[in-house]
Amino acid sequence: RRGLCGAAGPPSTRQLREAEEAAPVFQYAGKAARRKDRVFVWGFSYSGALGVPSFVRPDEGWKKPRRIQTTPYRLETEEKISSAACGYGFTLLASNTRDITKVWGMGLNKDSQLGFQRSRRDQTKGYEYVLEPSPIPLPLEKPQQTRVLQVSCGRAHSLVLTDSEGVFTMGNNSYGQCGRKVVEDEIYSGSHLIHQLKEFDSRVVQVVCGQDHSLFRTKKGTVYACGWGADGQTGLGHYNITSVPTKLHGDIAGVNIIQVSSYGDCCLAVSDEGDVFGWGNSEYLQLASVTETTQVNVPRHLPFKIGKVKEAACGGTGNVVLTEEGNVFVWGYGILGKGPNLIETAVPEMIPPSLFGQSDFSPDIRVAHVRCGLSQFAALTNRGELFVWGKNLRGCLGTGRMEDQYFPWRVTVPGEVVDVACGVDHMVSMVRSFT
Amino acid sequence: GGGGAVELVAARVPVLADHPLVRGPRFKKLKIGAGHRLDVKASGVFVLGIGHGNKLLTDLHNCHLTKVYTVGGLFGKATDDFSDTGNLVEKTTFDHITREKLERILAVIQGTNQKALLTYSNIDMKTQEAYELAVKGLIRPMGKSPPIITAVRCLQFALPEFQLEIHCLHETQQYLRKMVHEIGLELKSSAVCTRVRRTRDGVFTVDDALPRTQWNLQSIQEAIRNCQLKVETELEKTLG
Repeated sequence: RRGLCGAAGPPSTRQLREAEEAAPVFQYAGKAARRKDRVFVWGFSYSGALGVPSFVRPDEGWKKPRRIQTTPYRLETEEKISSAACGYGFTLLASNTRDITKVWGMGLNKDSQLGFQRSRRDQTKGYEYVLEPSPIPLPLEKPQQTRVLQVSCGRAHSLVLTDSEGVFTMGNNSYGQCGRKVVEDEIYSGSHLIHQLKEFDSRVVQVVCGQDHSLFRTKKGTVYACGWGADGQTGLGHYNITSVPTKLHGDIAGVNIIQVSSYGDCCLAVSDEGDVFGWGNSEYLQLASVTETTQVNVPRHLPFKIGKVKEAACGGTGNVVLTEEGNVFVWGYGILGKGPNLIETAVPEMIPPSLFGQSDFSPDIRVAHVRCGLSQFAALTNRGELFVWGKNLRGCLGTGRMEDQYFPWRVTVPGEVVDVACGVDHMVSMVRSFT
Repeated sequence: GGGGAVELVAARVPVLADHPLVRGPRFKKLKIGAGHRLDVKASGVFVLGIGHGNKLLTDLHNCHLTKVYTVGGLFGKATDDFSDTGNLVEKTTFDHITREKLERILAVIQGTNQKALLTYSNIDMKTQEAYELAVKGLIRPMGKSPPIITAVRCLQFALPEFQLEIHCLHETQQYLRKMVHEIGLELKSSAVCTRVRRTRDGVFTVDDALPRTQWNLQSIQEAIRNCQLKVETELEKTLG
């Protein structure tokens, strides 16, 4: 039975207005709300390279393991990750914190490319597969002051660059790629050895791993190399192994190099004037613009007339450069990004900017960075969008499909993509949330 | 017979049989068809076809051209039907929202819908043809598809109000209101839609549209004449 108070029919406009004004206001974002930094991974998971153990060993018995993660998946990390690198079946994440733990590794560890990961079952042995991001103990002199600037991964070795203690190398050294003398019959599995390199003409500012060689770029603009040289990828004028980082000459002698790149057996370097230099494998027409030989063991200037080059990235069979105007040029062999008809070219061809979202409606979209995996490419725009193309090996493109992608395709990431690292069959991206 | 020639002069007198009150109204039945739906709470361009124009309406629908809306939104409120006249669900703070944050969200909406554009167009991505169409930006679904937003941008931003220009395909106005609500959620607040106004439907813009004061025969006939050429060229370009 209704009392005498209360309205008889639907609430009047005044009552609605009063109820609205009296309603409580909820606050979802406080004053200190900041954009959060996150890490997203995708690709082949069974090697442990994605760092999600439940993909390989599900928590519940009835759940099935996830072999391939086809779309970006968030990886929880303890610290903000400033640099990431994907190797052949393993990943390194680094933070530029002053805390003791600065580098984490996950994935394949059969050559101790992730350092020594003590096994819990047998304290004398190490893990061969690391399924979640595990700290890598670096032998730092001042662990609470030194910062890790950058990491890089190759086929079975890794390089860690610090700001004041040089470069640390670990992993396979059968070709001298770790910058130390090759020990015959050395067993790399379960090794505690992490080598430190400090002898360069100035501070090292960038480290790059090729498949079985390492490149170091110093502040003065010189490039050092060590490792396997059968394709001339060390650029030292011979085809032998080098086990000590040695300075490169050739066309880059005296040139201020501002960026080097390599992932397979071909290497590219960009000078401060916007010129491109290349050396190494040229079986896939990567250096065919200057020579017919399939191996080039001395850096050669590539006379491209495409404008001032800002950044270059080398893949296994294809290369990509980004010019100052924001245009992307590709050449080499494979799926280059201009449809299925372009399989190989020795001369760079431009990818139309409309494929990256530029149109009359949004005319100021530009590509800001380019990255290369073994057989795939990635481009980051100034709006924080990630575009990928190339061979979709075990879902490494992150498009949600398993087919190869013949032209740049947007990857849906819930955030603004700041940087991306491409591997053979997986990718890692550093993303900032929107709000 | 008297003097000069007799000139016959025709004099016109009104005939009662011609009078509309005797004969009846000139048009008794008119076949009028409506174009793309516009719901009660929205306003703007609404395309109608008269008589033989109804066939053109079907053809225009099959062209799948984009429509442009001006959508107004208000931060701080959430209602059950996503518009400002619905029942209040929640009130939230909104002073942390900036134009930059809004534009970032809009860029993402555009990005995900670009992918939908390519996926629903039913073109095999592995062909050179697909690449060429993607470069020119001419890929769009030519059949049934869920609502797709081809472009969004922020026209005005003055907290708590904001205005967006949305270019879309296969949408409903309620979908646009829901989008405003979701933008509010993404920005860690809430938003309601205050107005939806269609400014363009395929080839017809606000300038071609007749306001309420011009809903008479002469204006309608003139409007049809002015738009005829536009409609014909568009139909030929798309349907061949």
